[in-house]
Amino acid sequence: MLKLDLHEKQLHQRELGFGQVALELDDSVAAPVDQVRDLVRLSDPALSELEFDKLLDELLVRVRDLLNVDTAAILLLDEQENQLVARAAKGIEEEVEQGVRIPIGRGFAGRIAKERVAIFIADVDHADIMNPILREKRIRSLLGVPLIIEGKLIGVLHIGSLVPRVFDLRDLAVLELAAARAAPAIERGRLINALEREHRNTVMLQRSLLPRQLASTGGVTVAARYLPARGEVGGDWYDTIELPGGQIGVAIGDVVGHGLMAASLMGQLRTALRAYALDGHGPGRTLELVDRFASSLEEEPMATAAYAVVDANEGVARFASAGHPPPVLVSAAGEARVLDTTPAPPIGAFGYRTSTEQELSLEPGDTLLLYTDGLVERPKIPLSASIEELVLALQGSLGAEEVCLMAMDRLVPRLGARDDVAVIAVQLQPVTDLLDVELPARPRMLARLRQMLGHWLRGQEVDRELATEIIIAVSEAGANAIEHAYGPGRGTFRVRVERIGGLVEVRVSDSGQWRAARGQHRGRGLKIMEAAMDSLEIRPRAGGTEILMRRRVQAR
Amino acid sequence: MRLGELTLEGNGEAVYATVRGEIDLSNAEALRRELTSGICNDASGLVLDLSEVDYVDSAGLHLIHHLREDLRARGQRLGLVIPDKSVIHDVLRLAGIDWDKDIAPTVDAARRMLESPPDA
Repeated sequence: MLKLDLHEKQLHQRELGFGQVALELDDSVAAPVDQVRDLVRLSDPALSELEFDKLLDELLVRVRDLLNVDTAAILLLDEQENQLVARAAKGIEEEVEQGVRIPIGRGFAGRIAKERVAIFIADVDHADIMNPILREKRIRSLLGVPLIIEGKLIGVLHIGSLVPRVFDLRDLAVLELAAARAAPAIERGRLINALEREHRNTVMLQRSLLPRQLASTGGVTVAARYLPARGEVGGDWYDTIELPGGQIGVAIGDVVGHGLMAASLMGQLRTALRAYALDGHGPGRTLELVDRFASSLEEEPMATAAYAVVDANEGVARFASAGHPPPVLVSAAGEARVLDTTPAPPIGAFGYRTSTEQELSLEPGDTLLLYTDGLVERPKIPLSASIEELVLALQGSLGAEEVCLMAMDRLVPRLGARDDVAVIAVQLQPVTDLLDVELPARPRMLARLRQMLGHWLRGQEVDRELATEIIIAVSEAGANAIEHAYGPGRGTFRVRVERIGGLVEVRVSDSGQWRAARGQHRGRGLKIMEAAMDSLEIRPRAGGTEILMRRRVQAR
Repeated sequence: MRLGELTLEGNGEAVYATVRGEIDLSNAEALRRELTSGICNDASGLVLDLSEVDYVDSAGLHLIHHLREDLRARGQRLGLVIPDKSVIHDVLRLAGIDWDKDIAPTVDAARRMLESPPDA
């Protein structure tokens, strides 16, 4: 039934049944010289530069042309499923489009993979093949060889003819040579592809784990940067947390290690820190709890982290560090200095331990910079020296954005960092003579309003008792705007506070309809405003109402 | 903002309630409901500890005012714990309210106040 134009002694031929013949070539068979020369092109260095899919396509085109066949296809081994997956095809593209999968040991390709031999099918109609596409495409004869590299099967390469064809010894030799040449290129391409995919996934994961938006709250401006390492991402993160008390939490951390694992652990630690912070724990306790959380994880990650709770109103930051490099403070005048901190051991290093907390005092306009060691670690340079370099680079910088920009620009090497780098800077807003904010008309905004105003009055160096009275009056005016000027819905109200010499002038306006004070409660609010301020006017405006209040403060 | 957190505790005679955080328009009504439902009819009165309250606005005063009236109607007394330095004194002063008879600087002082005859 099979007629092979082969010399018996050069070929070990074995019937596999169902029209399949296993062929094993003797070493003495050499492929024709001209064809081999053409095949050298398969190991062409240009091929290895091609993207993986293009590489496979190019291989198949060359094989098809070389052997003058109608179809050529590559199936790759999916080790987890123990199946062959159609990955590239010429002439039978449907194989790939439909994602054909063949179990090892079954059908034509499956047998090639299992037996690790070449298989020839003279007539598809009389053979056991699994893939219906081969029949539908009216392929008559098939020849396939295993793709093997260093004894490991990675896939199957097969060719097909639309007319009955008896593949001869030379055809087989050429195809085997093609397979031998192609296998390393495929394996390399597959590895690169997998690495690229992991890198892409990790970068994506890393990005998804970092905050898209930094918290914005009264009194501070925040900026941050993240730069993956040259070639690989790591476990650095930063975060901002709007705390229930109106303070802002600023966190930074660095999970030891690289790649997907480090990025995923980073995500877990970031979430844990955030959750403990939102629970109202101070920085020291928060890091202790993150440490405990980390030791509960199977992977037992090691990490350094720093967490600061910035209270713009009080002008302080409570700070704790777990083995993290010291923060840098840049004053409103642009003077930079390293803050002397006493870090606890890193997270995951010694099991449970206590974290000490420090209080850093901040003036309006000051910027606090937290960074990961990727920014300052240099081969053969002591850490203290490169931190000094950072301090020098930051001299004269003003504001969170500029501090981040200068830190990255001056310290990250042109070709990218060796380690990933994260920086986050928080600036206490410098005080200007005008505070002008528009807030959602919701009762919860009153606390934020009081906080912003407190910060502003502190910056204006208004006497504390006087400031308290102004805050009480403005809060009442805000409550008025929220409670009486709006029905249910989502309007806003605007608060404009201005220092004019020895005077603080406040305008609280809304765009709702003014209704007269109702009952004792709101009457009490008006009474408070009158008592706290030197003058009070309620003025209907186009489309709303404005409360104008003035209070004398000490002249400057 | 830290919503005023409420802790209720009874010791047979009076009910002790501690509020922490800020009391304003955003939470005064909710606090009032919680407080009112926490006081049983046979309690002699309520000691409302405001020593850890950072801020009270007119809505908060309104809450305390109604609490006082409700308790008075039931023959119960209210003792407010407000330390001397509290911002609540400023708000009371600005609102022109004199609740001095019901205010004590510490919980102990408030307890003694409730135990003594009302007009002593």
